[in-house]
Amino acid sequence: MDISPRWKKLWRDLLVARGRMGMMVLAIAVSIFGVGTILSAYTILTREISRNYLGTNPASAFIELDRVDDTVINTVRQQPGIADAEATSWVVARVKVKPDQWMTLLLFVVKDFNATRIDKFLPESGQWPAPQNTIMLEREALKLIKANIGDLLTVQTPNGPSQSIKISGTVHDPGLAPAWQEQMVYGYITPATLTWLGESDTLHILKVVVKDQPLDVNRIDATVGNLAKTLKNQGYTVGEIRIPPPDMHPHQGQMNAIMLLLLSFSLMALILSAILTATMISGLLAQQIRQIGIMKAIGARSSQITGQYLVLIFILGFMAVWIGLPLGMAAGRGLAGMVAQLLNFTLYSQDVPVWVSLVLLLMGILVPLLVALIPIRRTTRITVREILNDYGTSRESFGSRGFDGWLSKIRGVDNTLILALRNTFRRRGRLLLTLGLLAAAGGMFMTGINVKSGWERFLADGVASRHYDLEIRLNSPQPEKVVLSTIAGVPGVQKVESWNLLPAAVYRPDGLDIVRTYPDGGHGSLMLRSAPPESQMLESPVLGGRWLQTGDADVVVLNQLAARFFPNVSVGDTIRLMVNGRTHSYQVAGLVQQIMTPAAAYVTPTTFGDALEDTNPSTNCVRIVMNAHDAQTINAVTGEIGRALATKDIRVKAFIPNTLLEGASDAHIYVFIFALIFMAVIMAVVGALGLMSSMGTSVIERTREFGVMRAVGAKSRTVLRNVISEGIFISLMSWFIAVVVSIPPTLVVNNLIGGLFSGIPLTLIVSPMSLGVWLLIILVGSIAASAYPAWQASRLTIRETLAYV
Amino acid sequence: MLAQIQTHHRILINGKPLPVRQSRLIELNSVTKAYEVAKSKFMALKGIDMRVDEGEFVAVVGKSGSGKSTLINVITGIDSPTSGEVYVASTPVHTLNQEQLAVWRGKKIGIVFQFFQLLPTLTVAENVVLPMDFCNVFSPRERRKRAIALLEKVGIAEQADKLPAALSGGQQQRAAIARALANDPPLIVADEPTGNLDSQTSEAVIQLFANLAAEGKTVVMVTHERDLSRYFTRSILLSDGVIVQGEESQNGH
Repeated sequence: MDISPRWKKLWRDLLVARGRMGMMVLAIAVSIFGVGTILSAYTILTREISRNYLGTNPASAFIELDRVDDTVINTVRQQPGIADAEATSWVVARVKVKPDQWMTLLLFVVKDFNATRIDKFLPESGQWPAPQNTIMLEREALKLIKANIGDLLTVQTPNGPSQSIKISGTVHDPGLAPAWQEQMVYGYITPATLTWLGESDTLHILKVVVKDQPLDVNRIDATVGNLAKTLKNQGYTVGEIRIPPPDMHPHQGQMNAIMLLLLSFSLMALILSAILTATMISGLLAQQIRQIGIMKAIGARSSQITGQYLVLIFILGFMAVWIGLPLGMAAGRGLAGMVAQLLNFTLYSQDVPVWVSLVLLLMGILVPLLVALIPIRRTTRITVREILNDYGTSRESFGSRGFDGWLSKIRGVDNTLILALRNTFRRRGRLLLTLGLLAAAGGMFMTGINVKSGWERFLADGVASRHYDLEIRLNSPQPEKVVLSTIAGVPGVQKVESWNLLPAAVYRPDGLDIVRTYPDGGHGSLMLRSAPPESQMLESPVLGGRWLQTGDADVVVLNQLAARFFPNVSVGDTIRLMVNGRTHSYQVAGLVQQIMTPAAAYVTPTTFGDALEDTNPSTNCVRIVMNAHDAQTINAVTGEIGRALATKDIRVKAFIPNTLLEGASDAHIYVFIFALIFMAVIMAVVGALGLMSSMGTSVIERTREFGVMRAVGAKSRTVLRNVISEGIFISLMSWFIAVVVSIPPTLVVNNLIGGLFSGIPLTLIVSPMSLGVWLLIILVGSIAASAYPAWQASRLTIRETLAYV
Repeated sequence: MLAQIQTHHRILINGKPLPVRQSRLIELNSVTKAYEVAKSKFMALKGIDMRVDEGEFVAVVGKSGSGKSTLINVITGIDSPTSGEVYVASTPVHTLNQEQLAVWRGKKIGIVFQFFQLLPTLTVAENVVLPMDFCNVFSPRERRKRAIALLEKVGIAEQADKLPAALSGGQQQRAAIARALANDPPLIVADEPTGNLDSQTSEAVIQLFANLAAEGKTVVMVTHERDLSRYFTRSILLSDGVIVQGEESQNGH
């Protein structure tokens, strides 16, 4: 076949400059790899998380009734707007994980393991269904307590004795937040087993699915509200109603936010590498400018030459996608697998939708094409005369601007270094681009580390603001005097205070107690707590107003998460809460900030007593300060307290040591930080390629100059040092910019993460480690990146350099 | 020899001799060219009037900086005049834009440079085919045949499939001449084509141009070669942007 010579030229130019072409392909491939990874993981995860979650047929609402029998179920299923209904029960029990150490055990009571229609869970291993007097655990819960199938667990329900129960198997419940994240054990038992554990087998939770699975929570609200009124009219006692966000896994929002953030960072890497391609192309054009002139002189139109170079970019882009896309998709599957494991759902399919490949193909080809169009058009439009007369001194040459004047006045430093410094500023456009690439990579890297430090500080602050060692929640309110004196009598206890709590809900005109939360109760709940005004146990920065004062009556202080329940609430406003089925009005005295604390509204013990309608002061929660604060002492004293309370027949729902907070939510944040650093590495690779190509281009452009330098007596080493010094100057400059550049993304990510976990941004910390490590990386990288072009330049003979066209 | 050339170029078209006006290939009227150099104006050409007829072999001579290169750049459209008119083969070159110039130049002018300027990654034959490709002249099948024929004509057909770097200077310049002839242009313009060649090779190359002129091509060449003046039909001497000798064709029509 006859291929026309201009395409042959294109192909051979490509082969001749294969090093440079390879770098371009690598730069685009690396960023396509980055975008591909995130986009693939994102599409797999969003599809699979909802497939897992929707596969459970999640309930639209959970209604707490005094009893849920078959009559109720049959009535409810005939109500307008209701698709299905089912009965269940939740019992908050506790399980012994170590001597003296208990964990919360959330028991789901299942009538028939094989006939569950709502909030389904799947058999994982062991026996199914759970035989009488055995328990099945959620698969992540089994790992959390490091138990095995067949082990005996010590379990105690609120009203039952402590009992041994065999683990008969595991289930996978994709509808729950993973056990390790909630630090809660999920167990599945039959009603008969529940009776055996000492509780009544009456089921009291009604699960309902609203028709058409509406995504609008207000529609569910209305339907469920009507249903609750009907049930009330029929004589049932309606307790708390839980309506979780429709069709959303508890952690879906969190995952989406993080994935979108990563996606935007990876897109930034793509744009940077496209710009890098453009500069590499303009470097190539600089090298071929004479050839372009000749081609135009013998009749080539600008459009023909433009076309030639665009085809070149097209080929490069295509190759880059060909390399980067499969790798990106593979890495995306890996990332999706990791996240799926963290969020405890099963990837039923690892298919990446076709549109992802198409979008990446378009991006990998179009973005570099569009960006490269600028230098290509600029070069091919130069007239033949300008090209043929171009001997390297253009109007933009050194010496024509004020800054250069200043640079040329520097004295007293080594001459080679001065030359390197001045060379750095010769091609400003290219310098800016290289700086941009390196600074972006550095900024990203520092952001990753800064966020990690900020997170650690955040947790440390959270722990530090609590001046107590242990919180004990009781199954039911007990006489305060008895509880406090019993605990105070245990050796090792320094101080004990009553910090009662009750679930609360925002007041509704229909008198219903509706909360937006999942079955685990942790997400989106609101608590009313009593706080001794003079207590030193809690230190909360006041955002507005003041903390509680002795004698405050019907006055409330909200933390930032509680304030979210009352849009636009401010100090002095009156809010209405539903507590124990009754409405109470409180005046907001202050707003406080609390790290890693669920939404809480604080009132004085007197006000709390009024809410409880309690004439004899009672307590259901205490906080304790011990004499020593190490984990071992805390454990030992906790055990003693447990035994002391048991002698008074006071039943404990949960022991919550302050140290639990640190371990609770630590690990999952690291996935995110790891991903940030992964993006930083991708950008760093693009940045290093940018530096290498920029140095390579400037060496090519100055080959003649190096010849002159050597003709007047410079040694090879001088040339080498000159080029490497330039590389180091550039990287040092980029480091300073990176420090500044890292601040805004750190703030954004701090806001995002802090917002997800506590509703307040993380503290901004510029980690000295991130500065140091990046400086090291960038210095080593810049020396490596400039060494090759420098070595090439120093190797040329004088004759070769002067003849260089 | 001059007589020979003149009879030769009076070709009959449709049995009639060409009218005199049409045999004039190049016409420059009051052409000036000013450059900005270090914020002051430098006049490279100061009101040039010049005519060249078909079949002439014109040498443009003068000292460095006299405006020789600017003059031929204005003729080829590589440079545009500051004022005045340039006609080449009846085309008003000064009115064309860059894109029109590129197409026009590719078809009507063959350019030969001092440093040969063959594209290093293309073989000799491919270099010759390139202008045909750009201007879409001749069918793709014919192009290679034509390139080989042209290379035969300049005497280096056996080098057709080598890369330029493998050729001697003289061979490269012959290849460049073959490339200039690719689209069969009426005018060949050469800027010091022998500047980089030894005297023997230079003479052979000049002879090649003379042969072309004898075949009816018009050749305009910037040169320093005084010894070879016997080959030229006319020499135009430039000094400080003004023609001081050889302005009009001495054998005027």
